[in-house]
Amino acid sequence: MTPKPLPSLIAVIDIGTHKTVSLLGQIIDGKARMLSFSERRTDGVVKGTVTDLEKLTQCVHEVVNDIERSSTRAVEQIYLSLSGPAAEGERVKGFVAVPAHDGKVTAKDVADAISSAKRLEPPAGRSTLLYMRQPTMLDGRAVSNPVGMAGKRLEVNFWRVTMEEGNMRMRVGMVNGMSIRVRDFILAAHAAACATASDADKQGGVLVIDMGAGTTDWILYYKEHILCAGSISVGGEHMTNDLSVALRISRETAEDLKQRFGSAVHRDNDVNQIIWKDGDKGVGDQQFNRGTITKVISLRYQETLEFVRKDVLRHLEHIFPGHAVKLDQQMIPSGVVLTGGSANLADASEAVQLVTGLTARIGIPNFENDSLRKPEYAGVVGLMTAAITDAPPVVRRPRGFIANLKDLFRF
Amino acid sequence: MVTRLSAQLPPEIGVALLDTDARSLQSAATVQTVQLGRAQTRGMGTGGEAALGLASAESEEAPLRRLFTGVPIVVLVTGLGGGTGSGAAAVVASLAVDAGATVLTFATMPFSHEGERRMRQANDTTVLLGQKCHGLVVVHNDLLLQQVASDAPLSESFAAADAWVSGALRGIASAFAPGALIAADPGALRSILATPGSPTLYAHGVGQGEGAAMKAARAACDCPLAHGPGAVTKVASLFVYVAGGTALTSTEAFEAVAAVRTRFGGETSTIICARIDASMGDRTEVSVLGASLPAPKAAPKSKKGDKAVDPSQPVFEFATEESMRRGLFGGTPMTFIDGQDVDVPAYIRKAVRLPATP
Repeated sequence: MTPKPLPSLIAVIDIGTHKTVSLLGQIIDGKARMLSFSERRTDGVVKGTVTDLEKLTQCVHEVVNDIERSSTRAVEQIYLSLSGPAAEGERVKGFVAVPAHDGKVTAKDVADAISSAKRLEPPAGRSTLLYMRQPTMLDGRAVSNPVGMAGKRLEVNFWRVTMEEGNMRMRVGMVNGMSIRVRDFILAAHAAACATASDADKQGGVLVIDMGAGTTDWILYYKEHILCAGSISVGGEHMTNDLSVALRISRETAEDLKQRFGSAVHRDNDVNQIIWKDGDKGVGDQQFNRGTITKVISLRYQETLEFVRKDVLRHLEHIFPGHAVKLDQQMIPSGVVLTGGSANLADASEAVQLVTGLTARIGIPNFENDSLRKPEYAGVVGLMTAAITDAPPVVRRPRGFIANLKDLFRF
Repeated sequence: MVTRLSAQLPPEIGVALLDTDARSLQSAATVQTVQLGRAQTRGMGTGGEAALGLASAESEEAPLRRLFTGVPIVVLVTGLGGGTGSGAAAVVASLAVDAGATVLTFATMPFSHEGERRMRQANDTTVLLGQKCHGLVVVHNDLLLQQVASDAPLSESFAAADAWVSGALRGIASAFAPGALIAADPGALRSILATPGSPTLYAHGVGQGEGAAMKAARAACDCPLAHGPGAVTKVASLFVYVAGGTALTSTEAFEAVAAVRTRFGGETSTIICARIDASMGDRTEVSVLGASLPAPKAAPKSKKGDKAVDPSQPVFEFATEESMRRGLFGGTPMTFIDGQDVDVPAYIRKAVRLPATP
């Protein structure tokens, strides 16, 4: 399993419920320089689920055409982000009893343990999209590289992400339709974390919540590795929908009011503020109570965060059965990093603190280009970062993903 | 609910109570009753099994057909989620349609706290009912909790549901009863609901004191039933029923109708029915019923069975789609977290009263 050399051109695409963004970068000395960027409104996706494949395909093609045109380079392979509950994760383990007389672990033992973990079949009808490395244990102790160490029982762990076969084929087919290959999938929450959380954060423990328009994805790092990840089908669109139902206004107006007057925390004082829809007090202008807006939005926002908190705890109970795991500052010293379009809502980090009891900050991606330093671009910037940093050491596939795809699609 | 309702209804309306549970039927001594599924449940409830409810209704076909014979308009009130309602409602509705009646159904959806199974069961039934009935009004129980102050007794929130449904029944009955100030022809009412599967609008409001008619109209415009998730907001044909005490003038009544029309449409046709009832005092009541499709003339229906092949009665499948009822999130699989349908606004599920709009 020699890692494939990284191409000098890296294209990534992040298909969200609200917008599709793509980034083309050139790798110079292991760092990406942005060549072109494109963003378009997504059509045909609701709650992270594809409802109109034709429209979505067209949208993806337009975005890819954009980055090719403005950079005058041809894109051959692309990294695709994975988000939403369609991609399910679980922990898989592989064991090996160290056979050597002196009890020293060899590279072959590690490889055997890895292949025994990967031999575990995914549930029927699902295919494996990616493996993410979790701590390797030697006799119950976490070690970063067991080769040469003495022990009896070697255990390797992976976070495996699977997806329903038809769904995966649809996503791959969408990109293949324009003779571009999917080089690899990257978990969206992992990408967002790569752009916004430092290595020190991951070393201690950090929970990254990527709250988009249709879904909220989360990923938990503990002691450098991915501990677990998940997703729920609630996002910013739900807040807009709630507001349009509560105030009997159109979805567009609701979206506008949400951005201008919404808040993730309702304050008693909001009730005394009267706001105007258009502001010109002309014909058709309407006035609303700001308290109604913040109440509706904050209820949904905090409920969504509560769902995330419960989802994290559920996963942790599964991983550490019988232990009373608490989500607190001690376990997650770096607290929560909030990214995605819905992180732009006023008082978002305060709401996270309220619900989870952890410190929280808004994740601004660290990128050369100023226009992309916004929480909603954490995903796409992170894809680029993840593609570079993950590629050589952690290509987790024994044969390489393209080889598997060739078998699947015979091209 | 049926027993509570029957006490408030004018004598022109015949009330029948259908249930599998023999005890609940006995308690309703004043109304006509049909016990469903005597063989299947032996007088007990269905225990939440929709399949059992379905079989129960099918086994009592003959008495149900007798019940609907010669009845022009059937208003079916059912609670979905449990076994009897979810299973039997669609069967009862289709029997009534077969018997030549125009069927308007009020279906209550379970509370979010009742869990995923009941919600799915209720949702499946609404799809069936939407295809069979001429009109379908879905009442979300979650909405009821918002209608009353948080310290109000439980009975008060259910009284809101009773008021909504009985308002509709009184309005429809008045179209037949003599003595209306502005009378409506029963045929006209039927023409609004002539097309099965059209999305139905229903709103109800009550006003009291000075300008009661306008107050009632405004209350109807803000009625939560017309603004629930996925509710219809503009329709082509309207039936507006205004009832008030002796102080109600026709100018007031027409003003109320105009206010309702601005809100809900009714460009193709608006049928007005007004009624003076001395017992109402200074209260005024406005009920609005509407359908989205331009209502064609009600074609004479054949007596038995072959309704489905009648080309003049197209079943508008698109209108019964989930997307019509679930608003923005229609067409996607329902998402349940902790047994709650999270596409329903959070403030509704949590029954939070919102600050008043200025």
